[in-house]
Amino acid sequence: MARLAALRKEVAGWRVPVVGVSALTAGGWAAFLAISLIFPYLAPVFWVLFAIDLFTLALFALSLNLLLGYGGMVSFGHAAYYAMGAYAAAILVKRADVAMPLALAAAPFFAAAGAAVLGAFAVRLSGIAFAMLTLAFSQVVYAVVFKWTGFTGGDDGIQGVWPIKALAAPPVSNNYYYLTLGVVLLCTLLLYLLVNSPFGYTLRAIRENPRRAEMAGVNVRLHQWVAFVIAGFFAGVSGALFVFFQGSVNPDYTGIFRNADPLIAALLGGVHHFLGPALGALVYKVIFFYVGREFPFLFHLVVGAVLVVVVLLFPSGILGFVQERRWRSLVPKRKPAAAPIAAGKGQPASPLDRG
Amino acid sequence: MEWMARVAVQLLSGISIGVILFLVASGLSLIFGVSRVINFAHGALYMVGAYLAYSVMSQAPGSGPYFWLALLLAPLGVALLGLVVEVAFLRRIYRAEPLYQLVMTIAIAFVIGDMVRTVWGAENRSVTRPDFLTGAVSILGQPFPVYNLLVLGLAPVVLVGLWWVFYRTRWGMLVRAATWDRDMVGALGVNTSHLYTTVFLFGAWLGGLGGALVAPLQGLAPGMDTSVLLLAFVAVVIGGLGSFFGTLLAAVLLGVAQGLAVLNPLLRRFDIVIPFALMALVLIARPQGLFGQKE
Repeated sequence: MARLAALRKEVAGWRVPVVGVSALTAGGWAAFLAISLIFPYLAPVFWVLFAIDLFTLALFALSLNLLLGYGGMVSFGHAAYYAMGAYAAAILVKRADVAMPLALAAAPFFAAAGAAVLGAFAVRLSGIAFAMLTLAFSQVVYAVVFKWTGFTGGDDGIQGVWPIKALAAPPVSNNYYYLTLGVVLLCTLLLYLLVNSPFGYTLRAIRENPRRAEMAGVNVRLHQWVAFVIAGFFAGVSGALFVFFQGSVNPDYTGIFRNADPLIAALLGGVHHFLGPALGALVYKVIFFYVGREFPFLFHLVVGAVLVVVVLLFPSGILGFVQERRWRSLVPKRKPAAAPIAAGKGQPASPLDRG
Repeated sequence: MEWMARVAVQLLSGISIGVILFLVASGLSLIFGVSRVINFAHGALYMVGAYLAYSVMSQAPGSGPYFWLALLLAPLGVALLGLVVEVAFLRRIYRAEPLYQLVMTIAIAFVIGDMVRTVWGAENRSVTRPDFLTGAVSILGQPFPVYNLLVLGLAPVVLVGLWWVFYRTRWGMLVRAATWDRDMVGALGVNTSHLYTTVFLFGAWLGGLGGALVAPLQGLAPGMDTSVLLLAFVAVVIGGLGSFFGTLLAAVLLGVAQGLAVLNPLLRRFDIVIPFALMALVLIARPQGLFGQKE
């Protein structure tokens, strides 16, 4: 216990940061809030459902970006914790007869617990090995839920996981839309405060130079682990919200494509901007919808082509691109910030390796 | 006695699965060893190999010559595709952060996967084995498919061939040197850009050969790229990224584990957990893999 208390003291503080909000930002949020509040009354049911789906993916991607953008930890198995949240919610409701709102509230803690255990091993590694181990863990979770038929429903999963009547989704009522909107906005605010708190800045320092952070007295692994658990928690929130929206859960919740979804959304929007992953989720979902409707068999081809273009031409994502452009026009004399793709991490690009 | 015969047959069958897995995994390992890129598109290349082989073989189902022709042409076609992929996309990201390499190869896998579905359709297909490789022989009184015997027979040929390429040619020497220290190889005046391209081409060829060999064994299905990719990762990670011998050992071990798991009901229930649990254990205890070099 004493050791735990000592470790607790080592984690950088969490205090509400002083965040300046420009009139533009405040106006933007006010407009977003106003539109999203009246949205269900203006839009057809389909788009309300679309919005619920989008909000959950946005939170999923934002939670991953705590690791990806702020911690510099490329997790390729984040869907494991999303699935843990989803399965916990479904199992609590269907097997333990827990009331749905309580299950929704409790599910993220199961995801965080899973992330705490697996993350303790994962943060011992970095770079490609970290990506591989997180992928391996998500596949272990996949295999377990796939094979443990009696408890998780195996391949078929668990069906009929619906919210209570008062929180039903459209077309019955708009309450599930408002619930999702509220929860996702609250989680987004919490994540925003977190990345701008001393903890968030410590995480960024670790991303930039882990060894230097270590020398400065930062317990690097401990911070990475805490970030991993928090990211797992919010992925769990997203998974639990999604399961009551979808009405069922199955092993694909931790499949390889579900692992790629938040990664793609984050990269599309820009990993070095707080709202990048949310914007990326919107763009991704819109592509998903239109391509899926027009060319259902070419969906991955289009996503793949978009990703190739993003990686090669806009490695800092949509928001990064917009910012670089604006910045360049304001300060025309200086060279634009080197894109991460050209710089490579911590080593100058070697002319020897240029073709 | 019958129990022992069943174990022996499953062991042989497992080794033949392991050999094919090794072909795919060694290509993956080779590419990683030299360019430090984890090629998520490798499963897609393997799938293209399988479908190309199917297209050639279905010209004359059951024909022996067409089978050999397929084994020759399909890997070459995949190597050509690999060349295009490397020159057009991959060489631009060798110096990028892992995130971009990961997403780039996934994107290529997405594109190739959908192209295969568009060209050949999304339904499962079985591939007619050539006449001289159909049926089964009796090993200790247990039936054993002739086709698996062929794979087992090809294994020493493939191994000796790879050994010759890596240890008796100048190119192989450069590959081993680049796996050890690619910057030094560049500093010594080797055209590394050229080396990277040929390495990717050869890795793609190996994956294509694996796909061509597996087509008559397991048939074709749209999800075959993901499943083999994950298993090949496991083999490469357990054996040690970039280690040829380690990959061989791990691939055969995985194949044998898969073969033997069939015999035990408890193990069969958890057969898909075993590889990933093993991989996680190895990564935790020895992140560089059993035979890998430390970064």
